[in-house]
Amino acid sequence: MTIPYRYYDIRRVSGEVTQIDVDNGKVDQAGTSFFDKAVIRVLGDKGWGVFSVSGKEADCEKLSENFIREAYATSKVTTVDITIKDTPSSIHSVPSMRENPADVSLDEKVSILLDLYKSIEGRDIVSRRINFIEKDETVSFSDSHGHFYEYHLCRNGFSIMAVASRSGIVQMGYERDHTISGLNIRHRYDLAHEAANRAEHLLDARPCKGGIMHAVLDPELAGVFAHEAVGHASEGDLVKEGSSILKGKIGETIGSPLLTIVDDPSLTEFGFCPVDDEGSETKRTDIIKNGILMSYLHSKETLASMGNGDAGHCRGMPGIEPIVRMSNTFIENGDSTYDEIIETCKSGILLKGSRGGQVDPGRGMFQFNAEYGYIIQNGELTDMVRDVSLSGEILQTLHSISLVGNDLALHPGYCGKGGQTVPVTDGSPHLLLNNAVVGGCEID
Amino acid sequence: MKLIDEILRAAEKITDETEILLARSESIGADLKQNDIAIGNRTQGFGLIIRVINNGKIGVSCTDNPDSWKKCLDAALVSSRFADPIPWKGLPGPENLSQEPLAYDNRITPDPDLIMELISQLKSGSDKYPANITSGSASLAWSEHTLANSNGLLYSVKGTSAHISLEMIAGQSTGFEHDASWNLDLIDPEKTGEKAAFFASKGQGGEEIKTGSYDVIFSPTAFSQLLDAAIIPALSGRNVHTGRSFFAGKSGQMVAHEAISVIDDPFDTRGLANCAWDGEGMPVKKIPFIENGILKSYAYDLRTAYRYDQTPTASAVRLGQSGAPSIGNHNLVLSGPEISVFDEKGIFVHDLIGAHTANPMSGDFSVELSSPFFAHDGELCEPIRTGMISGNIFEILFRIEGCSKDTRTLGSSIIPYVRISDLTVIGRGS
Repeated sequence: MTIPYRYYDIRRVSGEVTQIDVDNGKVDQAGTSFFDKAVIRVLGDKGWGVFSVSGKEADCEKLSENFIREAYATSKVTTVDITIKDTPSSIHSVPSMRENPADVSLDEKVSILLDLYKSIEGRDIVSRRINFIEKDETVSFSDSHGHFYEYHLCRNGFSIMAVASRSGIVQMGYERDHTISGLNIRHRYDLAHEAANRAEHLLDARPCKGGIMHAVLDPELAGVFAHEAVGHASEGDLVKEGSSILKGKIGETIGSPLLTIVDDPSLTEFGFCPVDDEGSETKRTDIIKNGILMSYLHSKETLASMGNGDAGHCRGMPGIEPIVRMSNTFIENGDSTYDEIIETCKSGILLKGSRGGQVDPGRGMFQFNAEYGYIIQNGELTDMVRDVSLSGEILQTLHSISLVGNDLALHPGYCGKGGQTVPVTDGSPHLLLNNAVVGGCEID
Repeated sequence: MKLIDEILRAAEKITDETEILLARSESIGADLKQNDIAIGNRTQGFGLIIRVINNGKIGVSCTDNPDSWKKCLDAALVSSRFADPIPWKGLPGPENLSQEPLAYDNRITPDPDLIMELISQLKSGSDKYPANITSGSASLAWSEHTLANSNGLLYSVKGTSAHISLEMIAGQSTGFEHDASWNLDLIDPEKTGEKAAFFASKGQGGEEIKTGSYDVIFSPTAFSQLLDAAIIPALSGRNVHTGRSFFAGKSGQMVAHEAISVIDDPFDTRGLANCAWDGEGMPVKKIPFIENGILKSYAYDLRTAYRYDQTPTASAVRLGQSGAPSIGNHNLVLSGPEISVFDEKGIFVHDLIGAHTANPMSGDFSVELSSPFFAHDGELCEPIRTGMISGNIFEILFRIEGCSKDTRTLGSSIIPYVRISDLTVIGRGS
């Protein structure tokens, strides 16, 4: 009997993960694990049926009818008519790597990291750790329209942690770098020094005084701001469900005219998607242009129901159905120099580095945490402060951006949503925010 | 079991000791988008984790394909060559532990009707207050874990779980609630729906508050996020001995108010996945981490206990990509003096935005409040629009005024509502 599906696709991801953990000079763990997962989605009479299985049973080129039947059967509980939009489908080539991590032995990687470890040094450093991860994956995709794609992508990177302690105070310096452009652990002594110096300097840093003040965000933290405050709220699934304050605001001025925010999965950075996880072509989407909300980020489903934006932003972890996600999200350069921004701020705080953030896009509130900061007085940096957070309302904060720098820099990381974690890049030039809410334990 | 025998036989000639964990799981579920079920899903999972020990050097590898166990065993062997040796004292042998499942409900079956019933109860509960559903879910899962090692240990256990969640919105006020248990009788979808609707609906029209010092009542969800961010990592023996724990060197000292205890009780009946052995097959037991304010114990798996010459505490859990055992806890129970936490005026916070950004070393945090209300006279009263709370998690342990009798089980923690005095809240009001 033929199965009355309206659409199906299958994505299989197989590969290896190599992890090395160097903890206080000892190799705690170094080794490789293997994975092979597949997910089949079928659009049934009403909504989606999704079936996740081991990849070894699932051949993308000749998908077994049983899997389609299983996925179709799971769609029987759905109660809403879902339609999807036909989208342009093509694949970008994966750039070649400078040095393929797979060509370097585990032996050599371990000795590079043990050598790098020695550079995490300082008088008050009491704990040092380096974690390396290399994920080599082959992705194959096919759908009921006859598209078939296969690509291979290797992501690798490392983090360095230094802990300093003096007179009962403990502080941490943390540096990381992840990339798709090949092995990135050689000659990274700069990051090791940076982590150790930061941890030591933070011992002398003051706790931050909380309150409302002008804030300068460095490119890393401003990138997290773009991601948390705007990126999530522009995701088509949240807009469709009614849990985004950006719903119904296309064409409206929602922020400073200096502000342009982009998500570009075709950019060959850490969040690169040669094709998205439902076979749509990936390309640059301008979410906000000169302060005006232009586009949402979409899947085939959310594009069909909401319009206003591009598909190609649908991503999933291996074996899990894809949902609307960001990839490489950044604020475009403006024309202010860093010195102008600090000088114009006059009195306030410079926030640097990121310990992550979170957003409630329906309520329009976000929070993110800087690793450290400097008090700005009379247009100059003064004392270093630690543990400083910023929170705010998305719409109000977008209008309070008064200067945008000309020094855009991108930072790789990971983003979690709906229990799925995907690699992303965030970036921005320096930004000046007027009257930001800065958290700190001391108040006037 | 044939697979386990085969692997153990192949490994015995080339390793000192070998350990195998086999996990099989299945689940079904449905996702709500607004008022309708948009997605039905079903998963089948398999995991094989092989750990080998040679001359005190530990190697590990995992695969989700049972046919490729040889590749996995080879990778574990290679991995053991790189590891730094430790004074290894052996994997546990078999003990006479009950293999009766402690977290298995035979009514949880792959029945789509049961999923539909849970969803319908969630929705019916949500009708109690005017608000709109944005998304929600219900899922049911089964698993079977078999742990075996070359010392003749062979334990196997089945488990079930049921999970529901609902997100709602009214105007610009959001409400989220969830519930999970191994036992169908211990989840309450009506109540879960009602609470999500309550927070969305009643959270509207909140006033901004002034910056200042307030008494704060943390929900179990909010307080468990602070525990996860700094307290639990600080109890890990590995962090203690590598200089990454605030609690290092403080054993026997007061680290909390004298009425506060933090105890890992693997057999507490409120637990979600109780089991008589830990991730390495060690028999689990009650561990008092903090007793009447005094730091009594740290958590150890075998590797860390052997490396630093400590007594293992059977605190190994299996998380993370490599599947290697790591240090965790089973049912971390926080208890303190019982009071009516909502009687005196204070700020109630249901959830925190950004708790994971707290400083795990120093315990300093500043996070945005989610669904905050002024509470007094035993009830949640006036909603608060926004607020950012700052403090230090380790200091807070000394400032706990009291805890509610009610608790919630959140993952591997069992937590009451907790009232703290004098916390800094940054407000936007003037």
